[in-house]
Amino acid sequence: MVKVVTDSCSGITSELAQRYGITVVPLYVKFGNQVYQDNVDLGTDEFYRKLTQTQTIPNTSSVTPKFLAELFSRLAEETQEILTVTLSQMYSGIYEAALEAKAMVTKECHIEVIDSQSVIGGQMLLVIKSAQMAQSGANLDQIVDWLRNAIPRIHVRMSFDTLEYLRRGGRIGKAQAFLGSLLKVSPILGIKDGATFPVARARNRTHAIDYLVDFVRSLGNIEALAVEDATTPDELEILAQRLKDLVPPEYFYRSRVSPVVGTHVGPHVLGVSVLQGE
Amino acid sequence: MKGNLADGKTLEEMFTCGTAWLEKSAPDINAINVFPVPDGDTGTNMLLTMRSTLEEARHNSDSDVSSVTKAMAHGSLMGARGNSGVILSQFWRGLAKGLAARTYFNGRDFAEALSEASQVAYDGIAQPVEGTMLTVLKDAAKAAREAAKSNPDDLISVLEATVEAARDSVARTPSLLPALREAGVVDAGGQGMYVLLDGAFHFLKGEANKIQYWKPHLVAADLPLTPKITHMATEVELPYGYCTNFVLEGKKLNLQKIKRDLQKKGQSLIVTGDDSLIRVHIHSFKPGEVIDYASRMGKLHEIVINNMDDQYIEFLKLQQERLPTVDIAVVTVASGEGFFDIFNSLGTAIIVPGGQTMNPSVHQLLQAVESAPSNNVILLPNNKNIIPAASQIESLTSKKVKIIPAKTTPQGIAAFLAFNYDMGLEENARIMEEAMTGVKTIEITKAVRKTQLDGLKIKKGQPIAILNDENVIARGHNILNVILEALQKADIEKAEIVTLYYGAGVKVAEAENIAKEIRDIYEVEVEVVRGNQPHYNYILSLE
Repeated sequence: MVKVVTDSCSGITSELAQRYGITVVPLYVKFGNQVYQDNVDLGTDEFYRKLTQTQTIPNTSSVTPKFLAELFSRLAEETQEILTVTLSQMYSGIYEAALEAKAMVTKECHIEVIDSQSVIGGQMLLVIKSAQMAQSGANLDQIVDWLRNAIPRIHVRMSFDTLEYLRRGGRIGKAQAFLGSLLKVSPILGIKDGATFPVARARNRTHAIDYLVDFVRSLGNIEALAVEDATTPDELEILAQRLKDLVPPEYFYRSRVSPVVGTHVGPHVLGVSVLQGE
Repeated sequence: MKGNLADGKTLEEMFTCGTAWLEKSAPDINAINVFPVPDGDTGTNMLLTMRSTLEEARHNSDSDVSSVTKAMAHGSLMGARGNSGVILSQFWRGLAKGLAARTYFNGRDFAEALSEASQVAYDGIAQPVEGTMLTVLKDAAKAAREAAKSNPDDLISVLEATVEAARDSVARTPSLLPALREAGVVDAGGQGMYVLLDGAFHFLKGEANKIQYWKPHLVAADLPLTPKITHMATEVELPYGYCTNFVLEGKKLNLQKIKRDLQKKGQSLIVTGDDSLIRVHIHSFKPGEVIDYASRMGKLHEIVINNMDDQYIEFLKLQQERLPTVDIAVVTVASGEGFFDIFNSLGTAIIVPGGQTMNPSVHQLLQAVESAPSNNVILLPNNKNIIPAASQIESLTSKKVKIIPAKTTPQGIAAFLAFNYDMGLEENARIMEEAMTGVKTIEITKAVRKTQLDGLKIKKGQPIAILNDENVIARGHNILNVILEALQKADIEKAEIVTLYYGAGVKVAEAENIAKEIRDIYEVEVEVVRGNQPHYNYILSLE
């Protein structure tokens, strides 16, 4: 059976990982000299507590090719085929590290590394479907074909309170257009071709949630749907209630941004991710 | 490294790592190069200068930092390319000066040397410009000194503070230098300096081997930048002359005199070096005279003369390809500096000044539409008297233009806020117009004469409130009461957000006070924003 590997920025919970046999590689968050493994020894709540309580600005880093090569070699003991789906290479170096790791593996094993061109829910939906396909017997080539075809059908929208974290981390891309607003707005950003882009400005958080809901509803032909928050579970609940009837319950996922993602998006973000059918 | 002390070889390794990071970032840095700081490709020039700098360090077998930095200063002087390279060579010269006679260095030594480097960089330039590499260097040095106060021994923490300050300084460069703001970029040389220091910092943290997995990224400016390509391309073309570079080798050279003499011969002069070796960078219309002057004092090396007008044409061509155009440009009519700022912050491509008493002509509006950086233009007249002129534009241009009939500035702002980057021109015009209609506008002004309007007797000088630029709905003795009465009549209970734009001459404290009164009475968000508009003490928007 194909083994599926992804990184912690997908927001795949340990429960989902277990259910679908997904290996989630934690990236790193650093607060000063303290280094944490994403969602392993630092969870989302604790991360945001540190973020708001300390003056230190955290930063993030990828894993080394060596680390991944060892992981691949271990998995190669049990399987002939490994699929790795990473977050967008515009945001992180893990895609390149995985490619390098692939070349370092000596055991006979077919390894594919795919850039999801997304992150959070978008990446999660791609990974979960891949793992489901693997469980029902698809081979690596079939899954990779499906992935390449599905990546353009992923739609991600996130609402923010501030873009300061994205700016500092250099992940803001064209959404720079929304910086420095003199009026109070909740910017809505999307992810396309692996990068952040500006979409719209809501006047307050209520309107931002309306926007996310309207956006998802306008899409149609929804195959799977994910919602996530950072620090506002109540709002996530509102969002979930308004969207959950659009897909069967088994295709509706809830998650939270991991500390690594949180470093770059800051508090108060809400996200919706959709996999549209063909 | 020896405890908290680093030697020259460590410094060399730090900047070898910085140079590797610079190499990865060079294409991005090249892409944001802005005329008229004609420098070919800033990223490449800085990289080549650093290579020559490190080459010289490698040939040096001593490991004390004074000897290594001296070699590096020499290498950078000999190998300096372009404007940014010459400034970089001054950085090295200053660093060498600051670390002279030292075998090892700690955080404080580095901070002090950095200040020296910043000073030398400024000194070498005849007319220093802020918002460039010089500013970044100055800000970085200042942060380094601050950090060294609390942690004089800790080189890593000093460098960390240096790098953070450099990055923040790069983000501020467009606020300091209009040419950058116009082009929608941060300063290329500043970005290069930051990358170099950042790489050096990561070496100290033991992360040198990780650089290969990093994604180069440009520092994002701390204000929104709207590229105005057409503006740049159609500007009157000034001739730039020849960018002239050389190294002069001689005996007992008088740096100050050479600087004074050359200043008469051209622009953008940089003279750096000592009494035996000097690098000169100058933009001159008569490079022959410059070379002739210098050759009388000694031997010339590394002579490079480029025709900047050729470079400029090449540059414009590249700009067209490199800088993003926008899919849809929004052209806005506004009056009041505060409203200019607001529309700029919303990302307007062009602002045409105008409003109640100053309606822009059809010609002015057409010109703005024509020079907007897109073939799809949305025009916000923001005043009912300007709508007729705006409506004529569509038939006068080959561009696709949509007029959003905003009768007031708050309507225009509401329309702009609804602009959706995901959608095309037609769809945007539709949603913007829809958003516009959901807004009520109350304008507060003082009656210019005694009159009777909309059934109200009005005395001269009395504050009055006008709803949607049509009817007077309230008048009274003091502004607060007029505003409260007008809000009541305009159905404030149905609004979620009230924005209070205060006009020219109104104190912010007074506006805040009115906002507080409104909040005390109604359950509504009240935002206070500077509009600085003429004629109206306040403009209120009810969304």
